[in-house]
Amino acid sequence: MTTVLTRMVARLLLVPVLMVAAAILIKGYVDVGDGFAAGVIAALGVLLQYLAFGRAAVERVLPVRHAPKLAIGGLLVALAVAFIPVLGGQAPLQHAPAPGAEVIHLGTLELLTAVAFDAGVFALVLGMVVATIHLIASTVEERGEQP
Amino acid sequence: MRLLRSSAAAGAAAVALAGAAAVAVVAVWRSGGAGVDVAWLPSWGVRLAFRLDGLGALYGLLATGIGVAVFAYATAYLPRHLEHDERPQAEGRRFHALMVLFMVAMVGLATAQDLLLLFLFWDLTAVASYLLIGFDRQHREARLSALMALLVTGVSAVLLLIGILILRAELGTTSIPALLELAQGGPAVTLAGALIAVGALAKSAQAPLHFWLPRAMAAPTPVSAYLHSAAMVAAGVFVLSRLHPLLATSPVLLDGLLVVGLVSMAVGGLLALGEDHLKRLLAYSTIAQYGYVVTMLGVGGAAGVAAACFYVLAHALAKSALFLTSGAVTEATGAKALSQAGGLARAMPALAVGSGLAAAGLAALPLTVGFFKDELFFKAAAERGPWLAVLAVASAALTFAYVTRFWTGIFLGPRRRPARALPGRLVLPVVVLGGLVLAGGVVVAPFAALSEDAAQVAAAAVAPVEAAYHLDLRAENVMALATYAAGLAVVAGRPRFSGALAGAIRLGRRVGPERAYIAGLAALNRMSNAIHDVEMRDLRTRVVAVLVPAGVLVGAGVAVTPFEGAYLVGSFTRSDLPLVVALAACALAALVVARLRRHLALALGLSGVGFSLAVAYELLGAPDVALVAVVIETLFMLLFVAVFALLPRAVLRRETRLAELGSRRIRDPIVGVVSGLLMLLVVWAALSRPTPTDTSAARQLDLAGQAHGKDVVTVILADFRGLDTMVEVTVVVVALLGVAALLRRGKLW
Repeated sequence: MTTVLTRMVARLLLVPVLMVAAAILIKGYVDVGDGFAAGVIAALGVLLQYLAFGRAAVERVLPVRHAPKLAIGGLLVALAVAFIPVLGGQAPLQHAPAPGAEVIHLGTLELLTAVAFDAGVFALVLGMVVATIHLIASTVEERGEQP
Repeated sequence: MRLLRSSAAAGAAAVALAGAAAVAVVAVWRSGGAGVDVAWLPSWGVRLAFRLDGLGALYGLLATGIGVAVFAYATAYLPRHLEHDERPQAEGRRFHALMVLFMVAMVGLATAQDLLLLFLFWDLTAVASYLLIGFDRQHREARLSALMALLVTGVSAVLLLIGILILRAELGTTSIPALLELAQGGPAVTLAGALIAVGALAKSAQAPLHFWLPRAMAAPTPVSAYLHSAAMVAAGVFVLSRLHPLLATSPVLLDGLLVVGLVSMAVGGLLALGEDHLKRLLAYSTIAQYGYVVTMLGVGGAAGVAAACFYVLAHALAKSALFLTSGAVTEATGAKALSQAGGLARAMPALAVGSGLAAAGLAALPLTVGFFKDELFFKAAAERGPWLAVLAVASAALTFAYVTRFWTGIFLGPRRRPARALPGRLVLPVVVLGGLVLAGGVVVAPFAALSEDAAQVAAAAVAPVEAAYHLDLRAENVMALATYAAGLAVVAGRPRFSGALAGAIRLGRRVGPERAYIAGLAALNRMSNAIHDVEMRDLRTRVVAVLVPAGVLVGAGVAVTPFEGAYLVGSFTRSDLPLVVALAACALAALVVARLRRHLALALGLSGVGFSLAVAYELLGAPDVALVAVVIETLFMLLFVAVFALLPRAVLRRETRLAELGSRRIRDPIVGVVSGLLMLLVVWAALSRPTPTDTSAARQLDLAGQAHGKDVVTVILADFRGLDTMVEVTVVVVALLGVAALLRRGKLW
């Protein structure tokens, strides 16, 4: 079992890790990082909770059971961004707003279809990793062995 | 009970559909034909073009009209068949649906006006026939037969596709009318025609690719009756007729058809004469009968093509009735072979009369439509030359002999088994088809008109079908009389040469093409197993199986590349020192990994390699790559550890021991060192020659601003190469499904 110190660090780190992931996602278009890296970082934050508290406790406290839905939803967002332009006769992943046109800013966040695509990738990666962790953890538990 | 009803409803719906389709085909044909033509693949110039012309009407009417009879028969046959095999009645729905699918595929094939479209329906018939022949999937025999039919006709369909693509490359179109207009002969067109002909001949079960057809008799009787009289095998000669003007540009092709047809006539006829099993006898007869058609297409000209079209029509009517008869006889008495049947004429008079008419048609007796099929055949053959006339009479005599043997064997002679009463739906289709054979012999005009229209398309010229009785000693009549005489002689003399015939058939089985097929299939299986054994024994062997061929290729590349100037050693400054330290750490970690044996230590060592590499990326000025490397290494290490907990201890210990085996201790380091060195040489050579012509990086940097981005790596991933990313993330979800399937039986949570 983990020590008090590990559990405290894990609990303290969760929110900052998720913040960092969000920052990397939002700043992806202007700075280092993208949806994929952000998704893995957020998933690592969740994985840390699994390591510190065990599967049952984490799944009681955090809404991780939505992970498969998150992964599939992220895939659907990415597919929608890619193929909705095709319905209008444009190329897949066609930009909106168009290159050079004016973009709506929310702070440093620029509202672009490509950013939505990246957000889809983020959701997909986060959901996929958390779901995989859950699958492995519950299988290990079932077989009566400690990870 | 409810399921039974719905299965019966499906059967009734199939009959109704086939009937409506048959009426529609006749109506459209009578009104002079009609078609649709809409754009489909504009960039390939392929159109969704269908047209019901004379040829389409002939084959469409065969598929739908005989479909009505066979489907009606199946509604009575199938419930008994399923009950006999102790299978749920609900499976009948699947059967009827597949039969209708087959009919639709045939009508589509008959009306398609584009070769790619034609190929599509061609393969649809192959798929439907595979499922139908293998309908009794609990029997190994049925499964193997279905596979054989699929492989023989499917592999040859690839030749058909290659032929189509050659035509497209040569003439620039796949539209059939345009192709027939453009084709002027030449080696490319001849090659394409030959490939198409091979595909078509395999489908029509012509020698030497005939062996799948008798095997396919493992199917339920309605399937045999439908696929092997009016549909599946007819598809082959249909394509030959459809493209006949194109094939006719090359005399060599026509002569080839003539030879294949004659050989098939002889092989099929002799095998039918020696066969005891009812359905297989008819299958061999089908091979021979389609041999006639192929021969006449090979004779060519208006007369040959007209004879071929009429022959297909007359044969399909008679042969489907005979197939249905064999099924009814088996159902009533349990007899599956001639030696078990006999003397049933009194017990089943209606069946005897109906199948007797059909048999008379196949044997070309006067007052049946079959008489004219042989008249036209004899006429076309006699025009070609006396040698062909002799061969024609000889094979017609064989037909006469085995048809006589089939019918008399079932209905005359001593009664061997008691016969149960049969439901009307098992007898009526036979009587109707037999009646049609008789009607065609009395009033031949509608049959002649249909095949005349078909022949006009196939010959691309007016091709009159002159079917009438002449009471004089013209060549055809003399040949017909000679046929009857010779046929009776064969029937009478059969006991004397049956031993020799059986010996010849045994010899053919021992050295024939079926033997080659089985040997080829077994050899392919053995090769696949051998490769699998070498490659998949364990993880290390699998890695070796990738590294060694790759190393050989890379080594060959290195060997032929000029050495001079390929491996530059650049300058070294103090600022490179951190990078060297990071790479040295990476190399050290890699060496340590090679020495480690325990799995946990291996995972930790590998992530040590990864983290050192991430430092190197950062130092090289690739922060995006470094970030991803760090987070992925962390995640992978943790997941590795978690997965080790899932693996049984015994597996881990076995893998560890394998690595310590004597042979492995030598092989693994050598493979690793050599492939590493080769990789070093390749990377070194690549880095020694920067390619200044590649400006894509500069262009992407430039475009990133226009795409509202400042981090070019993210812009490339989410925008420039976004389609790649999209496919990759889709794979991620598929991987998740795979994990769920392996660990939790597919439950995602």
